[in-house]
Amino acid sequence: MTIRWNTYQADSVWDELITPKGRARKGARNLCRMLAKLTDDEISARKSAAALAIRSMGITFTVYTGEGSSSIDREWPFDIIPRLILKEEWDEIGTGLKQRVKALNRFIDDIYHDQEILDARVLPREYIEKSREFRPECVGIHPRYGVWSHVCGSDLVRDIDGKMYVLEDNLRVPSGVSYMLENREVMKRVFPELFEDYVIHPVDDYPDQLARCLRSLTDVRSPQIAVLTPGIYNSAYFEHAYLANAMAAQLVEGSDLVVGADDYVYTRTIEGLIRVDVIYRRIDDLFLDPEVFKPESTLGVPGLMRAWRAGKVALANAPGCGVADDKVIYTYVPDMIRFYLNEEPILPNVPSYRCVEKDQRDYVLDNLDKLVVKPANESGGYGMLIGPQASKNERKEFSRRILANPRNYMAQPMLTLSTAPTLIDHHAEPRHLDLRPFILSGKQIFVTTGGLTRVAMRKGSIVVNSSQGGGSKDTWVVGFA
Amino acid sequence: MSHHTLSSTAKRIYWLGRYLERTENTARLVSVHANLLMDLPKRMPLGWRPMVDITGSRTLFDSLYDDTNENNVARFLINDIRHPGSLLNSLKWARENARTLRGIIPNQAFEYINELHLFGREHLGEPLSRTRRVAGLSDVTEFVQRIEGFMSANLLHDAHWNFLRMGNFIERADMTSRIIDVGTDNLLESAVELAPFADIQWRSVLLSLNAVQSYNISVQEPIQQGAVLEFLFRDPRLPRSLLYSLNSLRNSLRALPRHEKALRSVNRMRRHLQHAELHLLGGETLHTFTDTCQKELAEVHDVINRSYFEFTPRRRPQRKSARGGIKNRSERLNAKER
Repeated sequence: MTIRWNTYQADSVWDELITPKGRARKGARNLCRMLAKLTDDEISARKSAAALAIRSMGITFTVYTGEGSSSIDREWPFDIIPRLILKEEWDEIGTGLKQRVKALNRFIDDIYHDQEILDARVLPREYIEKSREFRPECVGIHPRYGVWSHVCGSDLVRDIDGKMYVLEDNLRVPSGVSYMLENREVMKRVFPELFEDYVIHPVDDYPDQLARCLRSLTDVRSPQIAVLTPGIYNSAYFEHAYLANAMAAQLVEGSDLVVGADDYVYTRTIEGLIRVDVIYRRIDDLFLDPEVFKPESTLGVPGLMRAWRAGKVALANAPGCGVADDKVIYTYVPDMIRFYLNEEPILPNVPSYRCVEKDQRDYVLDNLDKLVVKPANESGGYGMLIGPQASKNERKEFSRRILANPRNYMAQPMLTLSTAPTLIDHHAEPRHLDLRPFILSGKQIFVTTGGLTRVAMRKGSIVVNSSQGGGSKDTWVVGFA
Repeated sequence: MSHHTLSSTAKRIYWLGRYLERTENTARLVSVHANLLMDLPKRMPLGWRPMVDITGSRTLFDSLYDDTNENNVARFLINDIRHPGSLLNSLKWARENARTLRGIIPNQAFEYINELHLFGREHLGEPLSRTRRVAGLSDVTEFVQRIEGFMSANLLHDAHWNFLRMGNFIERADMTSRIIDVGTDNLLESAVELAPFADIQWRSVLLSLNAVQSYNISVQEPIQQGAVLEFLFRDPRLPRSLLYSLNSLRNSLRALPRHEKALRSVNRMRRHLQHAELHLLGGETLHTFTDTCQKELAEVHDVINRSYFEFTPRRRPQRKSARGGIKNRSERLNAKER
C-alpha cells in the first residue's frame, strides 16, 4: 500500500502536515504530493538509502542493557518524512525561546547572588533551599555575561489546539543536537529533489555557533577548547565526539585534564601539558570535581571548581545552573520573564499544578487519572506517572509518593501531542512528536532553526525518548522561494 | 587550532600495538612448540614447562594447575581468563583499547579487531581439541597480520602510528629474547642423549619467529647456535631481530616530541647489543644476557611511559577507575612479573 492521504487519520489530532479534512497544510503541499507519487518499491529504496546513510555515517546511540558497562550501540531510528514548520511561525518561537532563556539565566545569576526574586516573594525561598540542584559552592561566582546555561535544549509540544507550549527546559547538559545535524545530512541523501522545491533553512552552522559561543567566554585570543565527556560508555558519546570533531576541539575525559598549582587547567599530551581555556562539559555537576562534589567520582578533575572560581577556565554550562532545571521551578518561568525582563511571555508554559500548594495538590490527587505527574529532577521521561494510562495501583502509589514529598512533584494535564505522518511499512500513519530546539547563550544568543524532532514510534504513545523506543525526523523550517 | 595527541590516546594506541603483537606471538609460540615436541623422543625432559617460563608466569601457573601437561599449558596460554597474559585476554584488551580509539583509528580497523576478538572467543574458547587448536591458532596469526597490514596501509603515519609501532616492537623484541632464552635454558644444559636434537631446538626457535626461510637466505649456513644468535639478535634486515626492533623504536622516537630520555635509553641498549660477544655466549651466560635484554626493554618501556603517558606528578594516590583497567593489569604484569 502506498501513501494515500485520503485514508490518513488526522481528524482527532493536530497533525503537522495534514488538516483534519485530509488536505495538506500550507507549505506541505509539494511534499505530500511527492510522497503520494512514490511506489512501494520507491519507498523501500528511500528507506534503505536512509538506513545505509545512517550506518555508513556511523550514527548510533547507546542503549544500556543492564548492570555496569554493558551496553549496545544501536543505529539511530529515523523516519524519512520530514516535519515542516513555516518560517514565520518559527521566527515567533525563536524570539520566545530567546526571551525565555534570557530570563532563566538572569534567574540563576540572581539565585547565586542577591536573590531579589526571593525577596520579592515571586517564589518561596524554601523551594530553592530544598532544591537538589542548588549548589551552595556556586554562590558569589560571576560567570561572564551573567550566563550560566550556555547551551539550553527546551522541549516544545503542540497541543490539539495547534498552539506551541514549552514542556520543559533542559539547562544542564542537553543532548540531541548532533542528531538534528545528522538527520539533515541523511535527508539530503534520501530526498535531494525536495531541496530544490523548498527553501529549507540550513541547520549546519550549529557547530560554528557553538564554537563562537564558547570562544566568547574567554579573553584568550585563540583559545583551546575541550569537550569533556564521561567516556565511551556514555549514551551521548557519539554526540560528544561529533561536536568536538566539528568544532576542531579536543575531546577529553577527566583523566586527561589536570589542574596546576597556578589554578590553570591543562591537558596531558605527548608534548607535555597544554593549557585549556574553555571546557564544554558533558558530565553532571556532581561528577565534575571530586574535591568539591562526589569524592568517589573518577569522571571529573580534582581542582576544576577551584580553577573555575579563580576565573582561569570557563565552564559551559556553569555548575549550579540546574537550579532552574527543576520541574517545580519551571512553573515559575512566566513569572521570571515578567520579573526580570518586564515583558509578557511569548511562549506559554503547559498549565501546571504544584503539589506543594495545598489546593493544587488536592486537585492533582483527585484527578490523577487525567494528569501527568512529574518528579522535579528527573529527565529522559523517567519516574513519571501518565495518569490516563496508569493502573489503579500505580496511581495509588503515586498519591503516596506525592503526599510523602510534595515539593518533588508537579502535574500537568495530559496533552494530545501533535502528530506527523510517519512511515509504517509502506504507508503513513500519524505518530506523536515533540521538538527540541537548542539555544546558545554567550556574548550573543542564538537559536537553532528548528531543532530535533522526536517521534514516538509506537501507535498512540507519547513517549519520544530514544532510550524508550523513540525515533526522529528531520525538521524543516521552510520559507518560499 | 593546533591539535595535540592526548597522553591517554597515545597510551591506548601503544597498548593496542602491544596486545596485537602479543596475540600473534602467543599463537605462534604454542603452535611451534607442539610441532617441536612431535620431533623429539618420547621420554625426554623437555615438555611444556618452557612455555610457561617464557611468559614468566611460573608462580601463577603452579597456583592454578597441578600438572604441566599439554592440555593445562595450552589452556593457560590460550584461553584461561585467570591468566592476564593468555591469548584471549590479549585479544580482549586489544579490542577494548581499539574500542576507545574509534574516531582516531579507522572504523574498519576497529571492526577487524572486533571480529578477531569474536573469532577468538568462538574458536579458541574451551574445550579445545588439538586439531581445533592448531587450526584456530594459525587463523589468529593470519588475522593479526591482516590487521597490521591494514593499519600500515591506512593509518596516517603520524604520532599515533609511531605509538602503535613502538608497542609492536617493544613487545616483539621482548618475545624474541624470551624465545631465545628458552632455546638455551632447558635443552642444552640437560641430558647428554638430547645433544643430537640441539639443532632441532634452534630450528624450532627460528620457526616460532617465522624466520627459517630468512635464515637460509641470509645466513647460508646450517642451523647452529652461533649463527642463529647472531641472526636473531643483530641482523638489521630481520624484522623480528632485536636490532631491527630497536632501530624501529629509534625511528619512531625521533619523529616524536620530547624524546630525549627515551631515545637515550634505546641507544644505550642498542650499544650493549652491538658490542656483545655473542659467539662466546652459551648456557648460563646466554641466559644472563637475554635476561639483561628484557630488563633493558622494561626500562625503555618505563621511560616511554614516564615521558608520554604518566608524566604529570600526581597530587594524590592514583585512583582506580574502570577505564584504567584497560591497561593497568597487564601493564603491571609486564613491568614486574615478566
